[in-house]
Amino acid sequence: MADVVRLESLTKNYGRHRALDGVDLVVGAGEVFGYLGPNGAGKTTTIRLLLGLLRPTSGRATVFGLDAWADSTAVHARTGYLPGEPALYPRLTGRDLVAYFARLRRRPTDVAAAVQLAERFDLDLDRRIRALSKGNRQKLAIVQAFMSEPDLAVLDEPTAGLDPLVQQEFHQLLRETTGRGATVLFSSHVLDEVERVADRVGIIRHGRLVAVERLEDLRTKAVHRVEARTFGPVDLGPFAALEGLRQLSLEGGVLRFGVPESSLDAAVKALGRCRVVDLSVTEADLEELFLTYYSEEGVDAA
Amino acid sequence: MLLSVFSRTARDQRRSLMVWIVALAGLVGMYVAVYPAVKGSSSFAKLIDEMPKTYRALFTTGSGVDFTTPAGYLNTELLTFMGPLLVLVYAIGAGASAIAGEQDRGTLDLLLANPVSRARVLLEKFGVMVAGVTVLMAALWVALLVEGSAAGMDVPLANSAAALLHMGLLGVEFGALALLVGSLTGHLAASRGVAALVAVAAYLINAFAPLASWIRPARAASPFYQYIGNDPMRNGLSVSGLTVSAMTIAALVTLSVAAFRRRDVLA
Repeated sequence: MADVVRLESLTKNYGRHRALDGVDLVVGAGEVFGYLGPNGAGKTTTIRLLLGLLRPTSGRATVFGLDAWADSTAVHARTGYLPGEPALYPRLTGRDLVAYFARLRRRPTDVAAAVQLAERFDLDLDRRIRALSKGNRQKLAIVQAFMSEPDLAVLDEPTAGLDPLVQQEFHQLLRETTGRGATVLFSSHVLDEVERVADRVGIIRHGRLVAVERLEDLRTKAVHRVEARTFGPVDLGPFAALEGLRQLSLEGGVLRFGVPESSLDAAVKALGRCRVVDLSVTEADLEELFLTYYSEEGVDAA
Repeated sequence: MLLSVFSRTARDQRRSLMVWIVALAGLVGMYVAVYPAVKGSSSFAKLIDEMPKTYRALFTTGSGVDFTTPAGYLNTELLTFMGPLLVLVYAIGAGASAIAGEQDRGTLDLLLANPVSRARVLLEKFGVMVAGVTVLMAALWVALLVEGSAAGMDVPLANSAAALLHMGLLGVEFGALALLVGSLTGHLAASRGVAALVAVAAYLINAFAPLASWIRPARAASPFYQYIGNDPMRNGLSVSGLTVSAMTIAALVTLSVAAFRRRDVLA
């Protein structure tokens, strides 16, 4: 699999503030990479570095083997970009905008592709952008990012302001994009979305990429919270032996613990030896667990 | 495609340019309509002659005051004060909006994410500013000739064209300065403000140079001197003035490109 995006100890300072701190990452062709993290963690900075809008303080970002800063024009020819909170020319119509960008791309036929995409997203290209709702502006931003069938789509919070049905259509578009071999890198702070469409996830905190995982691996590691109200004595022994166990407690007859998916079967069997009055199993918030997982790993390593 | 940033930007400015043309034609009409009254009254010229020297320098830089001929009248009233003021307002506005305006509206990101170099975006937008100033100067010239001859005023064809060419270059110089500040900082207000302040300073340097010897060395650097100091309405084109103006513009644009290519475009 050819590398499409490669970040090598990429660092960016704004004055004294370090926004991005030595990020290493490789994203391969055909992959959907979800970039997850709270606001201000460095997601947008990474994306702007990839587009050559910012110049790295140190390190390097390459796209298709080209330097993202020095060869940005060549990178842009193969890249679609959707900015976070996109500002579009308010006095133009959607059609004016896509026609303008198609001319800049020297691909006049992109307009036809944009018209098709707009139909698909039920967007009126003949209204002035000023008159469009936030959701419709976001649709237009999606249309202009995908109309050139880019080899790489870089998307900053792409589904912000979209209603669920449109989000589904957008996720379908992402699948088609990777289906033709193109790559998608998108940022989000909505875990649910990342879970649904990403092949791999990177988590960024305070400018550091703290973890990169395949989503499948992440799912099996995800901790399930088990809460059982029991009656009578409980032998904690079998529970304590569960693989991947965390936070085992018994208070007032209520047994609580967390286990990964792989230990659920053993957990249920251990519960079988108790008298269970009530039982609930919930999959804990993936992000929270993911972060706990890695922060604990960090502690272990230290 | 070739010049697509130019044509898009030019289309966006079409309407405002139309308003400018109408306003300039109206302004010329006003000056022309007032001329018979000014010409007839010798007291007006006398009044200006009796003004304190400093005060007179402030408003009548260059060739002094001559209201006896249409050319002298228009030179004093329109071409040395109101004309430059208006062309500066237009050019500084256009130069500032080229990069800083686009960034201020947040549209620069998406524009630059297209496969166009920053240099090309900047140069094409500079081109729109030059074209806009050219259109305004041409409109002024036509208005002077048409409205002047309608009022029976004898406006010198070639020299008024020369004066307007110099005036246009004056505008482009400060427009290019606004462009430079915008390229460096991305701040709309800063680019307008710096260019306007420097323009005022340059005007005063040229105006007061005859009165204060310590200012005199700086005078040659003032774009107002390249224009008014050579008095093109009387003397026609000044090759040295044109050369210095063109070199100033080239330097400012080159610096703008270098600054813009180097800088982070922040959200």
